[in-house]
Amino acid sequence: MERRKFLGLGVMALAALPATISAITSIDFRATKPDTWTAHKVDDAIKALFGDITPVEQGIELTLPSVASSGAAVPVAIKSDLDAKTVAVFQDMNPESATAVFNVPENGIIDYFMKIKLKATDENGGKGVITVIAEGRDGKFYIGKKSLDVAKGGCEG
Amino acid sequence: MAKNMKIKAKLKGDTVNAKVIAKHAMLTYDQAKAKGKEANFITHITAKVGDTIVYDVSTSQFWSKDPQFKFKFKGAAKGDELAITWTDLSGATTTESKKIK
Repeated sequence: MERRKFLGLGVMALAALPATISAITSIDFRATKPDTWTAHKVDDAIKALFGDITPVEQGIELTLPSVASSGAAVPVAIKSDLDAKTVAVFQDMNPESATAVFNVPENGIIDYFMKIKLKATDENGGKGVITVIAEGRDGKFYIGKKSLDVAKGGCEG
Repeated sequence: MAKNMKIKAKLKGDTVNAKVIAKHAMLTYDQAKAKGKEANFITHITAKVGDTIVYDVSTSQFWSKDPQFKFKFKGAAKGDELAITWTDLSGATTTESKKIK
């Protein structure tokens, strides 16, 4: 009986091994999608990266301060349970829109945090929107958006 | 080892929480112009445990100076090395690693 149990555990342990993160190769989206990074409008950057897409507003949790005291380091947190392969972050306050494009490992966790620069100008009045697009492994696109205010003078971005 | 990064990696349950601060000026094109310097910023960050990529991101000039970032992943154990590599616009590459606690 003991022996049987031991063997059973061995089989289970072996079976559990491949369940870890599958290997992915690094993707340099600056090289593969160069126009994404020079686009001045969010819509243009999205088009350059993903093509003509109609994302559904679903499944992306975006956490931002409602008012950022300094545009030099605005905390941005993105969480999602979507099975996505790509997660892209855009903003509409800086000269160019693209901010980050994540290449998500299979079975990876989408729970990202970073600090970014946002430039408050007379034109935007310190108001901006962060847009996140996720490309699912099901081929569908998802969008999450949130607006914020950025105090002036904090950033020379 | 040059201290170009501050890395913290802690295993909680089956998930590793990684926190990183990379030392980099992240000089945007506008800032560089104003200062009469060349723009230079981190353009890519990859984190690996062994040969497995656990975090992979292409970045822009708009990450903050000395950028801070966090991410989570599964499939690693205490004592594994988390290696983080960044590349910047000038082509410089830096890799530093830290044991997962």
